[in-house]
Amino acid sequence: MNSFNIDRILRKVLIVPIVAVLLGACALYWQMHQANRTVALIQTSDLEIAQIARMETLVIDEETGLRGYQNTRDRRFLGPYLIADKQMASQFERLRAPVRNTDAEHPVNDLQTAFEAWDNGFAVPLIAAIEAGANTSDVNLNLGGKHQMDDVRRRIAALSSNSQRQRDAHIQYWRAQVRTVTVALIVVALCIGLLIGVYTRRLMQDVSGAFRQSNNVLRIRAEETFRSEQKLLTTLQSIGDGVITCDVDGRIQTMNDVAQELTGWTEAEAHNLPLEQVFKIINESTREPRENPVAKVKRLNRVVGVALHSILIQKNGAELFIDDSGAPIRDKRRNLVGVVLVFRDITLAKKSQEALLANEKLAVAGRLAATIAHEIHNPLDSVANLLYLMDGQSTPEESAQFLHLAKQEIARVTQISRAMLSLYRESSSPVAIDLKNMLESILLLMDRHFQAAGVSVVTNLPTDLVIQAFPAELRQVFTNLLHNAAEASASNGVIQLAARPCPEGLDSHGRPRDAGVMVTVTDHGAGVPEEIRSKLFKPFFTTKGERGTGLGLWISRGIITKHGGEIDLASSTDPITHGTKVSVFLATNPTISAG
Amino acid sequence: MAKASHLILCVDDETVGLEVRKILLERAGYRVLTALDGQTGLDIFASEPIDAVVLDFSMPGMSGGEVAISMRKVKPHVPIMMLSAYTSLPAEVCSIVDLSMTKGEGAPALLQKLGSLVPSDIPNA
Repeated sequence: MNSFNIDRILRKVLIVPIVAVLLGACALYWQMHQANRTVALIQTSDLEIAQIARMETLVIDEETGLRGYQNTRDRRFLGPYLIADKQMASQFERLRAPVRNTDAEHPVNDLQTAFEAWDNGFAVPLIAAIEAGANTSDVNLNLGGKHQMDDVRRRIAALSSNSQRQRDAHIQYWRAQVRTVTVALIVVALCIGLLIGVYTRRLMQDVSGAFRQSNNVLRIRAEETFRSEQKLLTTLQSIGDGVITCDVDGRIQTMNDVAQELTGWTEAEAHNLPLEQVFKIINESTREPRENPVAKVKRLNRVVGVALHSILIQKNGAELFIDDSGAPIRDKRRNLVGVVLVFRDITLAKKSQEALLANEKLAVAGRLAATIAHEIHNPLDSVANLLYLMDGQSTPEESAQFLHLAKQEIARVTQISRAMLSLYRESSSPVAIDLKNMLESILLLMDRHFQAAGVSVVTNLPTDLVIQAFPAELRQVFTNLLHNAAEASASNGVIQLAARPCPEGLDSHGRPRDAGVMVTVTDHGAGVPEEIRSKLFKPFFTTKGERGTGLGLWISRGIITKHGGEIDLASSTDPITHGTKVSVFLATNPTISAG
Repeated sequence: MAKASHLILCVDDETVGLEVRKILLERAGYRVLTALDGQTGLDIFASEPIDAVVLDFSMPGMSGGEVAISMRKVKPHVPIMMLSAYTSLPAEVCSIVDLSMTKGEGAPALLQKLGSLVPSDIPNA
């Protein structure tokens, strides 16, 4: 049952009494109309009675006037007769008017005939006789006039009583009508009351049922809403990231447990405070305050991604490395109504990353240590053998030759040990590096490796390419790249290692770039399929199975980025032109970023 | 030098080391043939009556391990001694060869180990 049904029922409840009352009113109106007609008839009867009375008066006036004239023979006594006689014709018309077309016409006509019989037959001759001076006291004559007059009077009385009877009948009828109306009104009122009562009772039951049902539905919905709200709340509280929601003015509305823990503020303390008061972030390296994500979301009106290298200052002043992001909260009309801020503690992740970097350094060192052991053990073996020979029965000439060979071998050991030392000498600030020297010393150390892999290296390294950099780190990068190139190459393959100066200009993405050096390592191996090319610089991605850590290129890129440089990989799997070319750009005087 | 006429084949890509080892073994009374890579070594091994092989493990192209496997196929009874500049050799290589030693252990160790592979009482081939 919904509100529409309730409306329908309520309409029915209203319509039934209205219709019933309207019907009652119609019946009442008809009854009153009937009564009015009856009243009109009564009034007609009254008028008739009045006309008859007037007629009677006129007749009496005429007779009285006539009798006075007869007795006195004075013309003055005849006045009333003459006046009344003039009015008689019109009075008859008036008397006929209300009853024209009815049966009552005959009594009026008869009355007129009777009156005219008296007037013409008795009154007019009598007046003429009196004027002529004749004797008018004849009993018979007068008795005839009296009889005629009596007839007139009787007829008037009959008419009058007839009208009176009609009037009485109308009144009786009117009373009956009033009674009927009263009774009908009472009956109709009772019926309507009963009908409305019964009908509304039924409808009201429906309405109350519908209301109960609606109430139930509402209660269930409210419970569902509450449950879903609780679910959301629990989800929010269970999230491993800190979540803060703000209103459109950047005032804090909610904070989940993690957010409270990370900021050091409780939700109650922080409620309605401006975000920047609770969520203080600064740049990791510059320590400048950062624009808070709410302001940024409001400014850009879109989701703001993770800002790297942020430090969150907790309430007690302690610092945490965090990643944060913000997203607008919109209502149904897409208006901004708030901002949700998500952030996480990455202190541990940063430490793990540092550990990974150290780990890869160790792996590189381990690989090099094996090479170095090989490089040192070979000359050492020769020297040991030579010394043994010199110790025995050798001629002075032979001894001299052995000594010369031994010196050569020792020189080789020294060279290798120097190369190794320079590889692991860490400097705290960038130093000038001759790229040719550095790359050649790497090649020297890796020479054995290249031989074992059956590859040769062709170099094109101009002198005087000097850049500012951390040598150990660059060695790590190029050792790694050369190592990859050797592994990718087929037996008897050729690796090209080239460096060239790069004037100030635009990089491959069209961004301005300082002057520097471009070093390229090119192999003619099978090439890297396009689908894995983008993964090459991701940590723990390796194509070498158990032999690789999957960190080499990722760390190399980190190092190059730190040097303000760029590392790009181009590769082709074409059957003829296959191979991979890694280009490393290094600025001559880079701005080294912290790392 | 009737008793020391054992013919030894030395294979190593290190020119100086190979030459010094040749002189050392000749002084000890062996006859020595040398090869600078695996393939040459295999050719000599097949054509000459070699009594023992001193083989370097780490060589460009064909490694010492591969050379040893090929030699075993041709003449399984000829003892092979594997030299390595690394401190440890892969297990599958150790199981193929008769002996292995790390370079730099010194001449006496080399002569003693080689002597155990080719006893002097074995008649001249």
